[in-house]
Amino acid sequence: MEKQKNLAVVCLTAAFLLGFLLWGLCKPDDAVSVSERRKLAQKPELTLSSVLRGEFMTKFETYTLDQFPLRDSFRRLKAVTLLDVLQEKDNNGIYLADGYAAKLDPSIDEASVQHAADRFQLVYDRYLAGTDAKVFAAVIPDKNAFLARQNGYPAYDPADLSALLAQSMPYASMIDLTPALSQDSYYHTDLHWRQEALLPVARTMAEALGVTLTEDYETITADQPFYGVYCGQSALPLKPEPLRYLTNDTLRGCTVYDYETGSELPVYDLQQLAGEDAYAVFLSGSKALLTITNPAAKTDRELVVFRDSFASSLTPLLAGAYAKITLVDIRYLQPERLGTWLTFDTQDVLFLYSAPVLNSSETIR
Amino acid sequence: MLFSSVPFLFYFLPCVLLVYFLVPGTLKNGVLLLASLLFYGWGEPRYLLVMLAAIAQGYVFGLLIEKSRGKRRAGLYLALSVLLSLGTLVYFKYADFMIRNLNALTGLSVPLLSLALPVGISFYTFQILSYTVDVYRGTVPAQRNLIDLAAYIAMFPQLIAGPIVRYSDIAPELRSRTHTLSDAAAGTRRFVLGLAKKILFANLLGELVSGFRASQEQTVLYAWLGAAAFTLQIYYDFSGYSDMAIGLGLILGFHFPENFRYPYCAGSITEFWRRWHISLGSWFRDYLYIPLGGNRKGKGRQLLNILLVWLATGLWHGADWTFVLWGLLYAALLTVEKLFLLRGLKKLRVLNHIYVLLFVTLGFVLFDADSIRDAATSVCAMFGGGGLPLVGQESLYALRSGAVLLLSAAVGATPLLRRLITAAQQKTAGRAVLAVLEPVGLCLLLAVCTAFLVDGSFNPFLYFRF
Repeated sequence: MEKQKNLAVVCLTAAFLLGFLLWGLCKPDDAVSVSERRKLAQKPELTLSSVLRGEFMTKFETYTLDQFPLRDSFRRLKAVTLLDVLQEKDNNGIYLADGYAAKLDPSIDEASVQHAADRFQLVYDRYLAGTDAKVFAAVIPDKNAFLARQNGYPAYDPADLSALLAQSMPYASMIDLTPALSQDSYYHTDLHWRQEALLPVARTMAEALGVTLTEDYETITADQPFYGVYCGQSALPLKPEPLRYLTNDTLRGCTVYDYETGSELPVYDLQQLAGEDAYAVFLSGSKALLTITNPAAKTDRELVVFRDSFASSLTPLLAGAYAKITLVDIRYLQPERLGTWLTFDTQDVLFLYSAPVLNSSETIR
Repeated sequence: MLFSSVPFLFYFLPCVLLVYFLVPGTLKNGVLLLASLLFYGWGEPRYLLVMLAAIAQGYVFGLLIEKSRGKRRAGLYLALSVLLSLGTLVYFKYADFMIRNLNALTGLSVPLLSLALPVGISFYTFQILSYTVDVYRGTVPAQRNLIDLAAYIAMFPQLIAGPIVRYSDIAPELRSRTHTLSDAAAGTRRFVLGLAKKILFANLLGELVSGFRASQEQTVLYAWLGAAAFTLQIYYDFSGYSDMAIGLGLILGFHFPENFRYPYCAGSITEFWRRWHISLGSWFRDYLYIPLGGNRKGKGRQLLNILLVWLATGLWHGADWTFVLWGLLYAALLTVEKLFLLRGLKKLRVLNHIYVLLFVTLGFVLFDADSIRDAATSVCAMFGGGGLPLVGQESLYALRSGAVLLLSAAVGATPLLRRLITAAQQKTAGRAVLAVLEPVGLCLLLAVCTAFLVDGSFNPFLYFRF
């Protein structure tokens, strides 16, 4: 029996290693990982200089990891082992609670918040000081604020982060969005908030900005199921959820101008629903500088929003109250260059940032 | 190249084993050498030359020493070889440490060399030293075949993190060795278990340690969690590597010495060092402690020898005062045990283990710290210094999330599982179950390890830096 066992040990292990070697060699390389929403590493070029620099080896390691056969299944096996066998509470920092997937973010990074505040100060000093612009700021709490502590996960209080930012932005009136939000305001599998649940937020915002909103919307559900970013990051088989957006005649009449490409875009870019990130349906996703023009506006008021991706789904709900809304993402645009396109005088100016971006603000330029 | 990496497991290893078992016996050492050079050069192409030069000097001086046996010149050749070996080690590993201290002492501003440490230099240098010393002592004949000697020094299973295999341990197997199914199966089993120790325990414990280091929360619980997790991590990391090395050796027909025997079950620090990194401890015993006089020249000299050996052990682990202090801590503990504590410890059943675990953990806090000041801060935090709170939300979460891992890692560091398997093997039914469970279980373990690799990030072995 010992001999058979030894034979089985050696043969099974050899078959496993050789099998995956051959499979890896024969399998055509994948270009992207749909679940992780990223490009996969491709076979590196073998040259003497890349070998001597060690560059080839590093790239080859990444390549073999990215192109490993059954990659998604292996990632799932790891997640299941970690969560179900070892009973760890998160995988890759993603935890599941109350049917939601969320990312652990236990403490405030004060230096990061200060970095963001410093960049906002630069915008204020260069463009807003001495003008008649009214400046507002709001922090969008992460869904951790409604999920984490209740379920035994560490999280900071978003009010503390907001207070920290407020200390460095004495020129701005802070708008507290927390009372208008709950865990229902967020997608189950994504970090973003759901537009169809944002009317209370839009109302709070409008009240603070001193404008009146139209709240007559029809809700449209996208045909494609929505898999949020945490599906890929958690590597777990999370259920998809519907993606809905709100529209009305005003929004249908609005035009969106993209300064980067010099082209017009729809408010809801339905082609994005079939892309890597369906949330990009809202104002076409990551854009450095956009303007939403409302030809049906009964006012000439303008709003400039310094923002991250959360604003893409909220600002259409404010469009009815303004003649023009400009969205500036200083993660993709140096604020020093902003004067080329914008002149500030009497606009409402809103710094609208999510807590995760402020707490990890190295991308803000 | 890392054992716990996809290129090693799914490209290098199967290809090398295939070629190794296909070529005739006379070519096996050549294949082993070429594979080892590729293995080393994969991560450190620049430092291949350093290793090849070290091999060349070991080969030449080995022959010269043997040729001059019984003459004064033999001692001179040995001294030259030792000087070259240690000189290279000192240059790459300790030059900046010495310059920093010189600058601090004299106020000079001698620029640092900022050299990258060639991986595994401490290990292969000690193997070359043991070879030339053993040739000088006449314990082993000099190896006339350069390929055989180079295959021994550069042998990829143990090249970069041990165990420190002495030439005398495997000289007969270098000449001729047998490859059996039972050795191949035992080696495979050992390798997969070592891989699991590294990937499923060491790396995950490492994440717990990283979480502690990155956290802003300072609590007594977190300080203990960080220390306990690191203590377990370093055991699983290093013993996992040794298991993989021993396993690969068995597959290739070599029998390497054991390097770990459940060190955390030791009842004294003396016993701990007979169970932890055994090949290093025995190397220092045979090539430093005994030549210094060992215990043959009176108590005072013995204690001085212990101090010198542990200073060297500390410095072998790293060029920093934290490692020197770590070595001195063990010198002090071993001296106290030798003078009076050991007898008392032997009478205890539980307290002696607590004593060992406490000092080993505190030792590893020092070992892991960036500076002596950082180590002092960490130890202070463990005992609530500065009025630190006992717990916080992050430490409680880390404990809840890592509880099963910590507990299973702690149990896995004892011989409990081994005893259960041995007991099962005594019974016919147990043997039958194991005959099925073992191959399937090992394959499953390999699949789970692969899953963690595919999803994981880069986790180099801790002992690579020594």
